[in-house]
Amino acid sequence: MVVDATLSVCDLGVLDSLNGDAVQEIVESWNGYCLATEALLNGNGDLSFGSKLVSQVRTLCNYGLESLVEEHFAGFLEETFEKNGASKFWEHFDAYNNVASREMSVDPVCTIDNFTMIQKDSIQQVLCKALEEISMEKQYQEKCLLLLIDVVQSHKDSMPEKNLGGTERLHLLSKYQSMVSSVLMATLPPHFPEILRWYFKGMLEELSTIMADDCEDDNESHDKDDMDLDEKSKLPYKTGDMDVDECYHQNRLLQNSKVVKNIGIVVRDLRNLGFTSMAEDAYASAIFLLLKATVHNLAGDDYRSSALESIKGWIQAVPLQFLHTLLAYLGDSISYDDTLSSGLKSPLASRPSSCYAGIDNPSEGLVRWQLRLEYFAYETLQDLRIAKLFEIIVDYPDSSPAIEDLKQCLEYTGQHSKLVDSFISALRYRLLTAGASTNDILHQYVSTIKALRTIDPAGVFLEAVGEPIREYLKGRKDTIKCIVTMLTDGTGGNSNGPGNTGDSLLEELNRDEESQENTGANDDFNADDKQAWINAQRWEPDPVEADPLKGSRNQRKVDILGMIVSIIGSKDQLVNEYRVMLAEKLLNKSDYDIDAEIRTLELLKIHFGESSMQRCEIMLNDLIDSKRTNANIKATIMQPSQAGAEAMGEDTIFQDLLNATIVSSNFWPPIQDEAFNIPEPVDQLLSDYAKRFNEIKTPRKLLWKKNLGTVKLELQFEDRSLQFTVTPLHASIITQFQDQTSWTSKNLSAAIGVSIDVLNRRINFWISKGILSESLGADSNDHIFILVDGTANTSKTGANTGGCEELLVGDDEGDRSVASVEDQLHKEMTVYEKFITGMLTNFGSMALDRIHNTLKMFCVADPRYDKSLQQLQSFLSGLVAEDKLELRDGMYFLKK
Amino acid sequence: MTTINRQDSNTPVTAPPIASSKQPLPTAKTVDTQSVRKRLQSELMALMMSGDSGISAFPEEDNLFNWKGTISGSKDTVFEGTEYKLSLSFPNDYPFKAPKVKFETSCFHPNVDVFGNICLDILQDKWSSAYDVRTILISIQSLLGEPNTASPLNTQAASLWGNHEEYRKMVEKLYKPVA
Repeated sequence: MVVDATLSVCDLGVLDSLNGDAVQEIVESWNGYCLATEALLNGNGDLSFGSKLVSQVRTLCNYGLESLVEEHFAGFLEETFEKNGASKFWEHFDAYNNVASREMSVDPVCTIDNFTMIQKDSIQQVLCKALEEISMEKQYQEKCLLLLIDVVQSHKDSMPEKNLGGTERLHLLSKYQSMVSSVLMATLPPHFPEILRWYFKGMLEELSTIMADDCEDDNESHDKDDMDLDEKSKLPYKTGDMDVDECYHQNRLLQNSKVVKNIGIVVRDLRNLGFTSMAEDAYASAIFLLLKATVHNLAGDDYRSSALESIKGWIQAVPLQFLHTLLAYLGDSISYDDTLSSGLKSPLASRPSSCYAGIDNPSEGLVRWQLRLEYFAYETLQDLRIAKLFEIIVDYPDSSPAIEDLKQCLEYTGQHSKLVDSFISALRYRLLTAGASTNDILHQYVSTIKALRTIDPAGVFLEAVGEPIREYLKGRKDTIKCIVTMLTDGTGGNSNGPGNTGDSLLEELNRDEESQENTGANDDFNADDKQAWINAQRWEPDPVEADPLKGSRNQRKVDILGMIVSIIGSKDQLVNEYRVMLAEKLLNKSDYDIDAEIRTLELLKIHFGESSMQRCEIMLNDLIDSKRTNANIKATIMQPSQAGAEAMGEDTIFQDLLNATIVSSNFWPPIQDEAFNIPEPVDQLLSDYAKRFNEIKTPRKLLWKKNLGTVKLELQFEDRSLQFTVTPLHASIITQFQDQTSWTSKNLSAAIGVSIDVLNRRINFWISKGILSESLGADSNDHIFILVDGTANTSKTGANTGGCEELLVGDDEGDRSVASVEDQLHKEMTVYEKFITGMLTNFGSMALDRIHNTLKMFCVADPRYDKSLQQLQSFLSGLVAEDKLELRDGMYFLKK
Repeated sequence: MTTINRQDSNTPVTAPPIASSKQPLPTAKTVDTQSVRKRLQSELMALMMSGDSGISAFPEEDNLFNWKGTISGSKDTVFEGTEYKLSLSFPNDYPFKAPKVKFETSCFHPNVDVFGNICLDILQDKWSSAYDVRTILISIQSLLGEPNTASPLNTQAASLWGNHEEYRKMVEKLYKPVA
């Protein structure tokens, strides 16, 4: 018998005082109680059995059996709930079992996607229905429980000695609550969290669409009524009267709050069932997923506009609004009514600037959510931008909004090291390869410096990022040349040139000048105390990642020019290369216009110091002097000719055409010399000029570099005339054909005074222009060149006729007027080679470091050793390759 | 060995006239080391650029006043194919005083003792500031082929000098090239 078994558990002391009648009464009322309980709980909301239960319970309580009653009732509740509530509840979701698993394993097949779409729609209804049912069940059970508790309580109240207060009631309810959740948890099917996540995702997306429409509407409603109508007709909840915009607006807000309310109900029900954390997880992850998708959507691959503001706006508009409403609905925030009204009146997007649009009094939970969401948004955007940083920097000046975004993100997240690592690997992979031209690398480097200067004004991260680029550039031969070109070019209308403005370092030079003036003021030690105080207040600590060895923030000012020059190692090399380039430029000038060069030189002087640019200055002065002297000489030569013999008449015309550049060769880079005979009249002209120079500037004499300069000449044929601008050698060649239309290459080379090889190389120019033709002579080495008769070949050369003027300067390497820096370097290196041989002879073997140091110490005379370790190393490996040295275990030996 | 000075090391050998009749050197002008350094630098440059074969010298790592030299035996002498290391140390009043030059590799030669000291007039009384590292090295190189057997530091070598084949054998036997 059940009764005996249960009784034995109960207070045995009570049993002693029982007589037969009492026992009989107890058994009867117990049985009655059990029947009543069963009837009540299975009664499907019928509380009619309640009164019966109450009387039985009262009887039992009189015998002090209330704990037994409670125990039994609880057990029965559990059983019933499991049967009626939980199992039914889960049955609703059985259909989604496989769907959920499919969803989890990403399946690309379209049909399934369609399938899940359908399922998603219905899942909202199913979930709502299931939750409603189980909540009903639960509420009913709670009511029953309260009934019981009331009876027991009233009994206790009547017995003051046993008064335990209201705690009993709370205790029983919380016990019931935990029973419910444990039953549900125990029977939880594995796909349920997934279903929840789906649900929230679906709801949030719906909400976000509504909000987005809302925003759009606010922006466009005034002038785009047609579109509004279209949109309205698309919306599922449409009102009958569409003509009133206001009504529609309100409708949407209602609809919006309706969606939120639905979600609120679901969340509340889930909480009641003990799924608080699961629900929170589900909507949090849904929100984050949506946020991520939105960030990707808003930011995308467009770097020309800032995405951060719109993302923040979106966070305000969608997830925060949702959370606010939700939290408010659940009673975590301000009262529900308040929320509703705020929801109604809030035109969210119209006030994006205010921190909590439409939310007057943010709760603590909401603030925390906002921080979480914003951090997540910052991080997502930052990751997105960092991954694309290379592209962003490629279009740098245009992509500065993206850089600005990234800066703000990084200020928030502090994950600069992520940027450095990712960017360096991108650089290695995409830029620092053999395929990239040095110019491109340099431009990217400059852009990088400029871009990172925005993100990190102290230049700490820039240093880390720039290191691999610098290292790589050091290994390139043409780096210096490219840098110098970047420094000096772009003077010609760089402000108008599209896209090229960022390339030139000239503007950097300019800027540098300004900043130097500024720092000059700051460095003044006598600056008043006020300024010092302001400076002190502006002090900011270095970022933690800063290398303390590299000086403090003040010394680490980002200086593009300095960083570029540091690639080269020493400014001397740069100055040298600039000198060669300048010489080349000046020698090829036919007028004396050097304004641009003077400007560049002045800027360079500011940066590199007066003394190092001295030679360049002399070169420019030579040009200025040349202009004056040239004018002077011509003026004095012409006078006697006008006064004197008519024979001089022809010369005078020539004289007028001759302009000389007079250089002080000591200060110029070595100038290439190539001897050849120039036509007699021109030679005469030159010597006249030189004589006159000698008269004016005694004791100085002119030495002509006949191979340099340009000649403008006009070839006159019977039917046409052609104009050319060529080198003197080219001119001499063609002049030879003036009197004699056919030459063998041997005779021609003898006449001009150059080797046949040189002649063949140069004469090709005239052949390619169709002025001369080449044919094989009797001897295979002796070609015959014939002046092409105009009439015979007009059709062939027709394209070239019409007084075409072609500029031909420095068409190949051999045409350079100045010995290149490489040649000079090579000369220097031979000196070093002797030193290295000397030291290795006497010391046997030496490591790279020691050779470097020894050279630094002892090679101090004219070609002073100023190379970097890397340059020395490459030079040594060159010697190893030439079999002069041997490298074993890091030691260099002389090869014997 | 470094503590023994020139006079001491010379005593075991038959009294070398040069060493004993050492004249007082011309009073050393006080020169600042800077100009000495300059001179040594330019000598180094000249030596490096001269390209003389068989002689070489270079300052030691951190001291411009101590050099290491290398001389290879001239062709058609008994010293052909050998290579000798020298140490040159320059006084502070160089070039008014001669540098101290010693063989580091043991050299079987009438005018070189077992400690590597060299008996050569231009390194002693005939020194002139017109000489430089290059001329010293050339002189020593030619000394190898043409010893002054009249005043030997190494009598055995001096007596054997007449017999080329035997001498060559001794040179090869005693030659220990520096690793």
